Formats: sequence, structure tokens, C-alpha cells
Amino acid sequence: MKVSFFETARYRAPQALPSEWPVPSGAYDPETGARAYRDMIARLEYVEELGFDWVSVSEHHYSPRILTPAPIVSASFIAAHLKKIKIALLGPIVPQSNPVRVAEEIAMLDTLAQGRLVVGLLRGTTNEYLTYDLNPAEARERTDEGMELILRAWAEPQPFGWQGRHFQYRQVSIWPRPLQQPHPPTYALGTSRESCEFAARNRLGCGVSYGSFESVGRATRYYREQCARYGWTPTPEQIVYRANMLLAETDDEAEAQFRQLPNQRPFTMRPGVTDALNKLDSRNVAGQARAPIVGGALPTTFVGGPDTVVEQVRRCRDEVGAGVLDLSLHPPGSSDLDPLMRALDLFGAKVLPRIRDV
Amino acid sequence: MSAPGTDFREGYVEADGFRVRYMEAGQGAPLVHLHGAGGLRLTPAHDLLARRFRVVAFEMPGFGLSAENTKTRSMPELASTMARAAQALALDTFNLMGTSFGGKTALWLAAQAPERVSALILEAPAAIRPEGTEPPSGTPEEMARRLYAHPERQPALPAVDPAVRAKTQALVKRLRGPGRDADLEERLRALPTPTLVLFGTLDSVIPPSMGRIYKDLIPGCHLVFVYDAGHAIGAERPEAFVEVVGDFVERHEAFVISRAETVIHP
Repeated sequence: MKVSFFETARYRAPQALPSEWPVPSGAYDPETGARAYRDMIARLEYVEELGFDWVSVSEHHYSPRILTPAPIVSASFIAAHLKKIKIALLGPIVPQSNPVRVAEEIAMLDTLAQGRLVVGLLRGTTNEYLTYDLNPAEARERTDEGMELILRAWAEPQPFGWQGRHFQYRQVSIWPRPLQQPHPPTYALGTSRESCEFAARNRLGCGVSYGSFESVGRATRYYREQCARYGWTPTPEQIVYRANMLLAETDDEAEAQFRQLPNQRPFTMRPGVTDALNKLDSRNVAGQARAPIVGGALPTTFVGGPDTVVEQVRRCRDEVGAGVLDLSLHPPGSSDLDPLMRALDLFGAKVLPRIRDV
Repeated sequence: MSAPGTDFREGYVEADGFRVRYMEAGQGAPLVHLHGAGGLRLTPAHDLLARRFRVVAFEMPGFGLSAENTKTRSMPELASTMARAAQALALDTFNLMGTSFGGKTALWLAAQAPERVSALILEAPAAIRPEGTEPPSGTPEEMARRLYAHPERQPALPAVDPAVRAKTQALVKRLRGPGRDADLEERLRALPTPTLVLFGTLDSVIPPSMGRIYKDLIPGCHLVFVYDAGHAIGAERPEAFVEVVGDFVERHEAFVISRAETVIHP
């Protein structure tokens, strides 16, 4: 099992913040932000030293919960400070990006980072569409088209034009191309039938997140079936599972902490917006409809002391087939760093060495 | 919506001893179309093009309703017949669009008479093909699965008269030439004509990657991929197809300069 550390740049607000998303920009404290990014690098140096395989970053907007709105910027900065660890860009939200720009930036960053880049492309979570006025009804189509265009921009040796439904270019011919050829290891992120099929058709990896083993296992099973239909078999490393882990010295301690977790995200949208978004967005796991996650807290899949967690990781490998775990060791948005660092120490000492062979 | 081609009127013209049928609509700069191996079939793209151009879609001798063609021996010969057919309609210079098999005819025509062709449009051209590529054949359903990325979105193809199919297949086999035609490719290197090559990203007759070879060979060539279209681009993505074709016919290589307006509220 390979292990990835999901870095969210912990912003430790000096005073209580409004709880509504978007969080007013005026409540941001520049010095605190600067410190969050300094601490981020110090933490990641430690993560690298502990032997994590990847550090991952994501794209989220308009709140301090995950302070990485521009994931390429975060990934570049991290890549410049760390030497060995792979940088997993999970990833640009494709439907609200310029796909050619994404292809260029990823190619450039892969080259700058000497081929240490891993890429995840995704549709994005529902609330993010409000950031740049993206119509949720168009998000799926824009994602599929944008991802195809990104892959073609990486691979096509001649300048080409693109007559899409949502994107149009007369000439595309990117420089540099990625250092890793034909492109960095790339995952289509999501449990949907569409995402699994896209990944299978284009020989990409599949990234799933947060659901139960049973639920994400259905998606990865569907993905593997689709790969077989296209005549190939993904490696374990081509399935990545992002999850929350609550690790403590003992099971009891972990359970006690688990009961304390909030059941709401720290920053939620107005109910009228949430309701309307839920109606517009459609989500599925391998074709089976599921509700969009808009306001609720994300589930914590791994809970326990080291022995229990190792056993859970083993089960995850069997039931989900994941070869890479992308872990959040403390709920994103929490500004209390001590429990995170304790969990990291414990993970490095008592879990990481034992799940290598899983 | 009416069936494609409703506004087109039928005509005939003599060329090289053939009575050549054509369909014509629209006004403006002339745009001559040469069809694929399946024969002349008007699509929504023809209708859209006819709003901007005088579109003349020929039925090449030996295809469709025309008599069996045992006379034409090669693609260059067919190309010169089609040049004469255009001449007979008083088209001294014209824009030329060739689809698949007709893409190769169009390339030969432009190579033989570059002074007559203002711009060349090649829709999924079949002039360069991997070994073993065969044109779509079989039942209308089988044909549709080869031609279209999304056959379920297309009107059913008509059943083909076995006699028409037999005479057409023999002709196509005789004229289409090898997958890599050294003689033609040599001429393409000197082709002065502004050329636009289009491939659907889901073409399952000819791999879209063939497009880069045209781009490599022809000095003034532009390559455009039409997303989510199969081999019959004009049928599947008519608006996307016609937007870029029309722009290229009007502006040639300056079509790379966007004229799209992005002002939301003045």
C-alpha cells in the first residue's frame, strides 16, 4: 500500500469566523495565512521524512477550511521545497478551468518537479460551481470534454484546433510537454459511472473518496469491469482512495474523539442555496444515484488505535482494491494542529511500516 | 425540422461523357462538395453551409443513381472529371470540400488544378489510411455504427439497393488506391492551397491520428478535431463543423484569429 498525505494548509483563525460560505474575505488575516503556508511546508518536510509516497492538494474556494484555491500554485510551491515525495495534484476542477491552460501548467510543473507529478482530474464538488458561476447542469459535459482536450493537448504532436461543445480553440500546441511521457500518472476522480468509464476508456487511474468501503468498492469494481471491457487491467496503484482517518493510541481514545467530531462542515451555504443546488446536481456511484454532499461533514472511514487501523487498511485493500491511500489525519478545517501532529507521529511509527506490505 | 437537403434542387451536367447529377442550394462563394464512398447524402451541414455559400454537391459518376462507371481507371482521372463538371457549371474557381473517399478526389483535384481551388476542406479524408482500413459496409445498422459516434441520435440510414452497392464497391476498390500513395503525397508537399483537415475525435473508420500526417505534408494545412463526432462529422456535429468550415472558407489561415464576442452586458 502506498500512502499519500492530504495537505489542506491549516489556517488557524485568530478569532471566531462567520460560519457561512462564502466566508467574507474581510475576515481573512494575512499574517495568519502566511503562517499557515510556512507551517504547511514544515509539516510536509516531516511528512516526507516519515516516508509518505505522495502529498496531495485539492481545489477549494472562498473559505479557510482548505486554503488551496489554486492547486497548481500549491503544488508548485510544495514541489520546490520538497525533494523526493511525489506531488499529487488532485486536482484542477476541470469544468471551471481552461483545459489548455491546465494541460500547459501540468506539463510545466511535471517538468519543473523532475517528473514527480501525479494528476487527478475531476468534476468537483457541488458548491465549488458557485465560485466562477458555472451552471451545475453543464458540469458533467464540460468535465468530459475538458479532460479529453487535456489528454489530447499532452499527446498531439501537431498544432490542432478543437471544435467542442463547450470549448473551442483554433490552435493548440503546448510547450513544454510533460516530462513523464505520454503524461504523468493521471486519475479520473469520482465514483460516477461516467468518471469510471472515462478512466477505463482512456487508460487512466480511478480515484474515489470518503464513501464506505462498500460504496467506493462498487465504483472501483465497476471501473475494473470497464477496463476489462477495453482490454486492459489497472494496477493497484491506479486506484486511489481518499479518506479521513482518526488514529489514536488506543481504540477507546479514538472512539471518544470520533464522537466529538462535528456533523456539519464548518462553513455552510444558506439553506435556500443548498436545496436548490441539490436539485440541480446529479451524482451516482457506478450508475446508482446518490445524494450530493453539500453541507454535511465528510465521513471518517478509519477509526481506531494502530492495530485496528492496520486491519481496516487491509480490509480496504481487499474490498476497494486501492493501492494508494490519500489520508486526512485530522478533519480539514480544524485549526487545532496538535492532534494532527500527534496522529502523524503515531501513523509514521506504528501504522505506516505495517501497511507497506498490505 | 425538415429533412436535410429540402432546399436543394437537382441538376445534371455533362463531363467526360458522364451525365453528372448534382444538388445545389444557396448563394455566395461557390463550395463544391465531393461525397464519400457511400455516395451523395445531404446532411444538416449542407443546409447550414447553403445559408452562407452556393453549395454544389456532386454525385460522382458510378455512385448512387448514376449509371455504372467502368470507364474511370484512377483517382486522378475521377478528379479531372469532377474539375470538368465544375467547369460545366461555369465554376472557374471554387472552394472544394471532400468527404472521406471524396477527400482523396478533392486532394487530387487541387493538386492538378491548384489555381481553381481557393480553399480545400477535407472531412475525415481517406487519402491516408492505416493498412487494412475498409470503408463501412453491411446492413444500415452496421453502417451507422461505423459512421457515427452516436448512431442512436441519427435518423436511420436507408437500405442500399444491392445492385447500387455492388457497382459502387467495385468502383471504390478500383479508385481508392493504397493507404499511403507516394505519388499523391509528393504533390501534397507542394500544394499551395489553404487546407483544413477535420476529424471527429471518435472516428472509427479512419483513426483521427491520420490528421497529423496531412498537417505534416501540406504546407498550409490546419488540423481540427471535432469533439464527440465519428466519421460523419457533418451529420453528427453540423453546427460545430459548419462554424469552422465557413470561417476557414471565408478567411483562410486568418481563421485562427477569434471573432467571438465575449461582452456580456454592454
